[in-house]
Parts: sequence; C-alpha cells; structure tokens
Amino acid sequence: MKQSLIAVILSTVALIANATDRRYELRVDGLACPYCAYGIEKKIKALDGVDMTSVEVKLNDGLVIFQADTPEPFTEISLKTLINDAGFTLRQFQVQALKPENE
Amino acid sequence: MLHVITMKYTVQRTLFPAIAILFMGTFAETASAHDPVFGLGPHTLFKGGVEIHAGAHQEESGEGSETESELQLKYGLSGDWVAGIGVPYVRGNDDDSERGPTNFSTKYRFWRHDSFGTQESMAVLGKVILDDGDSHRGTEPDGNDYLIGLTYGYEGRKWYRWASVRHRINAEATTGLERPNVWLVDLAGGIRFSPTEYHEPDWVWMLELNGELIEHLSRGTGDTGKQLGGEQWFLSPGLMWTYRNFAFKAGVQLPIIKNLSADQPSSDYRALIELEWHL
Repeated sequence: MKQSLIAVILSTVALIANATDRRYELRVDGLACPYCAYGIEKKIKALDGVDMTSVEVKLNDGLVIFQADTPEPFTEISLKTLINDAGFTLRQFQVQALKPENE
Repeated sequence: MLHVITMKYTVQRTLFPAIAILFMGTFAETASAHDPVFGLGPHTLFKGGVEIHAGAHQEESGEGSETESELQLKYGLSGDWVAGIGVPYVRGNDDDSERGPTNFSTKYRFWRHDSFGTQESMAVLGKVILDDGDSHRGTEPDGNDYLIGLTYGYEGRKWYRWASVRHRINAEATTGLERPNVWLVDLAGGIRFSPTEYHEPDWVWMLELNGELIEHLSRGTGDTGKQLGGEQWFLSPGLMWTYRNFAFKAGVQLPIIKNLSADQPSSDYRALIELEWHL
C-alpha cells in the first residue's frame, strides 16, 4: 500500500515536471489589419497548453507572442503551418523556457 | 429607416424587374474583410473559419427603387481558399418581398506576398447564381447565371489599393427575353489614418471608381424593341470599421459618367451596409 502510494506520487511529480512553461515570440509578415489577425489568435488559443490570457498580437511590431505549458515545445514547422493556415507568413521564431527544464 | 438596395435598374415598372435581375447576387460578393465596399478584393478566410455576413443594398433610379438584403455563410477551406452560400431577399416598389436566387461562390487566392506590415495578393472568384428565386413578373432566368472575377489587392498599415474585373454571364429569361452580360471594373484606394493595435477599433476610409459595362442588345425586351446596354461609372466613398472579429462596412455609389442606350435605365444612387462576423 505504501509502495503504491509512493509510486502514484512519483508519477504525478514526473508528469508535472515534464511540462515546461515556454514563451513563444513569432515574427509574422502580412499583419496589416486587426480584423485579419483574428484567425491567428483563434488558432493559437486552440493549441493544447496555451495560456489564453498570454496571447498578444502586436500589429505595429509584426509580432505574435504567447505562453504555453507543454511537455515538448511547439516546433517551428508546426507554427509555420498554423500561421500559413491563418493567411500569413512566419518569418522568425523564438522560444524561451520560463522555468528550468527538468531532465 | 434603413433602405436596402439591390443592384437593379428601374425606369419603367415593367422594365425594372427585368433589368434588376441582371445583377442580383453580384453585390454580395464584394464584402469580405478588408476588401472594397463595392468592388472585389482578394481576401479569403483563415482555415476552418466561418464567416456570417448580412448585407443590405438599395438602389434608386427615377421613380423606381429596390432593396436587396442577403445572408451569406462562408467557410475557410484553407488559408487561401474560401467557399460560401448566399440567399438574398428582394423588395421592389410594390413592397412585395421575394426570395432571390441562391448563389454559391468560391474565391481562391493564388498569389500572396507578405512582408512586414503589408500583404499583396491576387485571387480568382467563381460564382453561380441559381434560377431558383421567386418570380419577377415573367423575367425570371431560364438557367443559372455565372460570375467570374480576378482581383489584386495591397494592404498595409496605412494604405490600401485594389483592382478587380468581373464578368457576369446572364442566362436568358424564361420568356425568351435576352439578359445582357455585364463587365464590372473596379479601382479602389483606402487609408487608415491611425495605425491601431489588435484590440482597438479600426477605421479604414475608402474611395472607389466602379464601372459597369453592359452588353448592347438591340432586340431589347419582347415587342417593345428597346435598346439596352452601355456603361456607367460611379465614384463611391465608403468606410470599414472593425473590432477584433466583427466588421461593419458602408458606402454609397454616385454616378459620374453615363453612356447608356436610349432605353437602358440609369441609377440615381446606390447604398450599401454590411455586417460581418468571423467565428
């Protein structure tokens, strides 16, 4: 019983530890109007692990910024496809871990 | 009271419905995102997106007037390809409201160049207007009408410009009446005075030059032997107001050049108001 409880606790800790909070900064070309950018907001918010309140679209800087807590980071290819599906072009991609990644 | 306008010509009561249906369903194709109010632009819809579009158009011509309202649904098949369906309703001088012909449309953006704060693109449009509308006093089409179009657009943080050409191929009427084909040519410019951010109301002011070139028909309408056809050009101020996923568009077309056949009705003015939601 005691060993089972320890196993459950360790599994839970491992699961939490594998998810990492990351900040994504996307430089997007074609962002000319607010109305057109809605598709980007909607698609990013549909991704698992995204912090809904963190999604920012900065038109004057051509930037889309958001945070997500996921076991693995979103790849540049997947985000490039997402941005293209929204009708724009991903020019540059940066990701930064906000918490130390656990091994 | 809001008057809804249809793209129809009316000089004589018997002629108005016949001419009017030359253009039914054409107006609704114009309104999409940051596209001109009356012309055609290259904007599509994000993949998986749904657009609900409600528009109202009114035209005054001499003693005649007609109103067309339309509900459209569009779906983003990809980031560069959208398809939609529309159903208009028409009210004429006699205040009888009739359901207009159902239309199916698709627009494909085949070229796009994105850079910092700007997007240039080109698209083709295809549309079929069915002959399933209510009767128009014997002038209902005997077959489908078709519309094809080509458009270019530049969108920046401050400046906009568009150019488009459309060709409408009209079927004959059930009475054997010929319905002339039409070319539509549009040039438009727009300006956003203040570069707003995403969660701010956004205003774009536009000015368009819209041309309508109507095929000349010497046989005219039945026994009357009227001469139809010619060209009309309009100067059209308009604006588009948006907030996040909601858009409002409004504009008025004022005729500046008329070179019409003797029996071709001309327009006094046309006005349009449209609402659009992206979901």
